[in-house]
Amino acid sequence: MRHLKRVVTHQTVLEKEYDVVVVGSGISGSIIASELSQKGYKILILEAGPGKDLTLAGYEKYLNHFYTATSKDNNAPYKRNPNAPMPRSVDVKKKEPGKPNTDSYLVQNGPFISDFTYSRVVGGTTMHFESKLPRMLPEDFNILSTYGHGLDWPIQYKDLMPYYRKAEFEMGVSGDVSTQTFSKQKAYADDYVFPMQEMPPSYLDKCVAKDVDGAEVKLAGETYALKIRTFPQGRNGIPNKNYKKFNNGELFTPVGAVSEHQVEEGERCQGNNNCTPICPVQAKYDGRKTLAKALGTGNVDILPQTVASRVVIDPNTGKVDQIIYKSYQELDSEEHTTGTIKAKLFVLAANAVENARLMLASGLNSSSDQMGRNLMDHPYILTWALLPEIAGTTRGTICTSGISDLRNGDFRSKQAAFAVDIHNDGWGWATGGAETNLLNIVDNQNKFGKDLRNELVHQISKQLLLANMVEMMPDPKNRITVDPKYVDRLGNPRPIVTMEIPEYTMEGISFARQLSKSIFQRLGAEDHSKYDPMDYGYLEYKGEGYAIRGGNHLAGTHIMGTNADNSVVDRNQKSWDHKNLYLVGAGSMPTIGTSNTTLTLAALCFMSVDEMVKDLEA
Amino acid sequence: MHLHPIETVKDLYNYLYIAIQLEHATIPPYLTALYSIHPGTNLDAYNLIRVVAVEEMLHLTLAANMLNAVGGTPDLTGEGFVPLYPTYLPDGETDFKVGLEKFSIAAIDTFLNIERPAEIDNSKGRATGLLKVNRKNTSILPSFKTSDGEELHFHSIGEFYSAIAKGLEKLTKELGEKTVFCGDYNKQVTPEYYYSGGGDIIPVHDLESALAAIRLISEQGEGYEGGIYDYEGELSHYYRFQQIKLGKYYHKDDTPGKPSGEDLSIDWNAVYPIQSNPRLEDYPKDSELYKEALVFNEFYKTFLKQLTTAFNGQPSVLLPAVGGMFKIKEMSYKLMRNPIPDKEHVNGAPTFQVDSI
Repeated sequence: MRHLKRVVTHQTVLEKEYDVVVVGSGISGSIIASELSQKGYKILILEAGPGKDLTLAGYEKYLNHFYTATSKDNNAPYKRNPNAPMPRSVDVKKKEPGKPNTDSYLVQNGPFISDFTYSRVVGGTTMHFESKLPRMLPEDFNILSTYGHGLDWPIQYKDLMPYYRKAEFEMGVSGDVSTQTFSKQKAYADDYVFPMQEMPPSYLDKCVAKDVDGAEVKLAGETYALKIRTFPQGRNGIPNKNYKKFNNGELFTPVGAVSEHQVEEGERCQGNNNCTPICPVQAKYDGRKTLAKALGTGNVDILPQTVASRVVIDPNTGKVDQIIYKSYQELDSEEHTTGTIKAKLFVLAANAVENARLMLASGLNSSSDQMGRNLMDHPYILTWALLPEIAGTTRGTICTSGISDLRNGDFRSKQAAFAVDIHNDGWGWATGGAETNLLNIVDNQNKFGKDLRNELVHQISKQLLLANMVEMMPDPKNRITVDPKYVDRLGNPRPIVTMEIPEYTMEGISFARQLSKSIFQRLGAEDHSKYDPMDYGYLEYKGEGYAIRGGNHLAGTHIMGTNADNSVVDRNQKSWDHKNLYLVGAGSMPTIGTSNTTLTLAALCFMSVDEMVKDLEA
Repeated sequence: MHLHPIETVKDLYNYLYIAIQLEHATIPPYLTALYSIHPGTNLDAYNLIRVVAVEEMLHLTLAANMLNAVGGTPDLTGEGFVPLYPTYLPDGETDFKVGLEKFSIAAIDTFLNIERPAEIDNSKGRATGLLKVNRKNTSILPSFKTSDGEELHFHSIGEFYSAIAKGLEKLTKELGEKTVFCGDYNKQVTPEYYYSGGGDIIPVHDLESALAAIRLISEQGEGYEGGIYDYEGELSHYYRFQQIKLGKYYHKDDTPGKPSGEDLSIDWNAVYPIQSNPRLEDYPKDSELYKEALVFNEFYKTFLKQLTTAFNGQPSVLLPAVGGMFKIKEMSYKLMRNPIPDKEHVNGAPTFQVDSI
């Protein structure tokens, strides 16, 4: 429990020897540190952000920061940190023709400007994620040979199955396996259940299901019947009795708040609506839960406020010799010390963008020249409407159910698959939250006092927002690069993003928009979706305009493949070029289907650990 | 004055009714101190008190399960179920009371008294369940009148429950387990309907499960055999509160009184200056505070009714009832943030006077 004792300074680090250095304390780095440390290996984690997040009080400071922030964007709980900056959607601006956007951390080259973000704090991007944890589909692993798009993986779904189970245990998945039936192949063993029962669908979900369940959609000659189903989620619910056989006969124990002392908080979700970005009671999984376990072994040290700056290769062996880091004292001062760290094995677990950025900043483009390329995300097209009746919007966690029936099918030879979320928080994502309604009621309807309150509740409780998450395939042209012209305050190069939404994805977006229209019709809901040409994410396709949002499911910058010519890492996420280097996380994924990436990247990390142990034993 | 050990099933009903009343009686004082803390401050203390309050709800539910198991009828709605605070404690010589107070050193001292461990003493006739009135002025159990007007006195909550355990064992031996545990199992609150941070709800249907429930209640309060943790490795209430007083967290293997963990950060001033042991008559009759205090009492009365319904065959009612506790928090803040008219620097607070409605 005394994990703060494992937070070290760089002076301490100089005097110790480590088997493994892990860059990044997010879910990937934490899983690897936790697994290897349990086998007795000595690990050092370098974390770019501050390390005060491992106490309940530290976490609650984030919460208060979020509550008092004017903008409730995904990184609102975290202080701006010019020494390890992170992208924020509030910083995104419409691109001016002919030159890149350079005035916030991400340099955006376009042509598409995305508002994607990730978090550079202890726990990484799980500190703001939504915690939907669907598996990828068996079909997703052979998408190129089956449908002629994207890339095939060097592994199959069944290779990953045991590791999916480990990941579902680690993150504590609540869900109902029997709803996960979108694959034509067998995706789960017959008797498998998730560790916890499904999160109950919201009242809004039920209102939508009443009219949508059973609706038929025709697509590429096939008919799909829609059904509103709950998502598997990394949120604590009621442990499933039938999971005992997958847990040595024991009931699953939900993991609550991270704390140095007993707090008994967060062992059950309370349905708070602001759970994205930050769950008030820590009932939502985040990487710190795994990290705390790792630190608890006594074999893991974490060096916070330390940015990995350069990976140095031994020219004789081709192996990583050391990592040069910059360690700063204060968030508001650029003063820092530069140091180096050596180990037997190096693991970059800093997310798809930062892994690629660090490698490229070190001049390591990989012999395949694929480093930083194939950048993917899930573009979202939001559609919103007003329901004819009060549907209890804003009750329950941010998203409990949606439509997954169009995640798979023969239409994928022509257009992207997609999944639809029903957002329990109303129109906020699209229109900026209740504030828009408030201003309208005050300014245009002249209401005040009790009338104002009633009208506000009345309007918001009928809001329905569908977030359509659309598949995006790898394209070498979509990429992260660096340029010495653009550096952050510590002098580290900033990521330059070049991204275009492929036509395949635009077909999916366009179809999703049409589907929303017919869903709204069935519900008798008034469609309020509007896409402003001045919106930074505005795109036109076949005469229609769409404002597209980033999904923060960044992937593909160091894809795995079958050889050193077509990929950056092998099936175990080991660098083809540097035998003691692993690049882990969603960056290794050649495709992302219509699954939020976290569960799959966690499974990949569990799989890589087996290979790392072999390396360390050798 | 003396008390008979449990001889009949009727005695048992009496004891278990008192158990429910006792568990409930601790909740208003804990909630009052908890919500008097300025939101966002005193996070360490806030969380410590919150957890104890949540576990008292668990104990309350366990006591109801026990009463249901032996065929009794839990009722949280009768007159006098909610004491009028401050409640005088058994010792006649001191004025020591359990009251509704803001978060303060004095309140923590009271809480420490409520959860004080029993002195381990197996030498005197306690094995029979006959409890001698041999109290120190720190003994904290409120005195209760039985239906016959008798007063009960116990040295600690743990000993009170140990008397129930003895009674259950005795009656089981005499009448047979099936006769004693004749309650309708469908009335049991099971884990589907109730979740508590520490410790699981135990459905009670026989002697073994009843004793397990008693053990959980006693040890969560006082610790296990003089240690600071209970048998599940959870820090007991007494030592949780003591951390606030000593300003340091306990860690595993610490000895009582010597916590070795991190410091707590406590700001005794970041607290609403609420009226101690408020009564409706403290608020001017036409004031908003008065109205809101009434609204609170009505809500609280409904809450107790819902719990009674839940404990009488409709356990699913517990889900919305417990959800209603969020509302208790909001309503408490409403009262505590507002000054009492004509009083200087004294704010309102819930009065918990449900009988006067």
